Amino acid sequence: MNKKKQTGQQKSDADLKRRGAKIGDQLRRIYEDVAQEDVPDEFLKLLEQADQKRSSGPADSE
Amino acid sequence: MKPEPEKLDDKAFKQELTTLIPHLRAFARSLCRDATLADDLAQDAMLKAWNARESFHAGTNMKAWAFTILRNAFYSEKRRSWRRQPLDPEVAEATLLSSSNPTDSLELLALRNALAKLPVDQKEALILVGAGGMAYEEAAAICGCAVGTIKSRVSRARKAVIEILESNNTGYNSDSGMSASRAFDDIMDQADEIAGAPTI
Repeated sequence: MNKKKQTGQQKSDADLKRRGAKIGDQLRRIYEDVAQEDVPDEFLKLLEQADQKRSSGPADSE
Repeated sequence: MKPEPEKLDDKAFKQELTTLIPHLRAFARSLCRDATLADDLAQDAMLKAWNARESFHAGTNMKAWAFTILRNAFYSEKRRSWRRQPLDPEVAEATLLSSSNPTDSLELLALRNALAKLPVDQKEALILVGAGGMAYEEAAAICGCAVGTIKSRVSRARKAVIEILESNNTGYNSDSGMSASRAFDDIMDQADEIAGAPTI
């Protein structure tokens, strides 16, 4: 640990940036992990049901 | 891009909404970590979006529009079960481990754990911008606040996550200018401890 004191601040800024970038990559992975899962059938079924309710229910316009 | 009509017909709306389901699920999961509750919330938002389709303007960003609906549902319906989040850190940790992807690397587990400790406004800003790829302007519209507010939440959240990850490893001294890779080894060590604790 013989880092120069003067560059300490600069160094930690660079570190912070690097770590921030890494965290960014990982965040995208956490989100993508879910986004790339197969959508459970229930979602499509529910949307289909809602759509059919509309066409068979009281149609107020068209 | 050809000029779009003001409103999408129902079929086109349904098609576009269907392509957004994975994103609704991912955003919901970031708000309430429990996978079942998150899907509950995502389904509710999907149906609300469908019912509100008349108010959607074609050519505008449906993803941001639907996220707004999801977020409003999450915050306004406090009685709903998806608001219930484990407060006990041990319970939270067990939930995290049991509901997360088994192929997660240990560093991802550490990050998930750190995210769970953030104030929810910071967490959602970081998720929307950092993970969901929303522009600051879109995230601001979704959260109903100024662009500057989102920017500062994201930056505070980033800083906080780094601090949480670092504070978890006792040997770290911020003055020593430890290298990123070394810091990461330590995060891994810390995640090891987490992974060693409960069984699924």
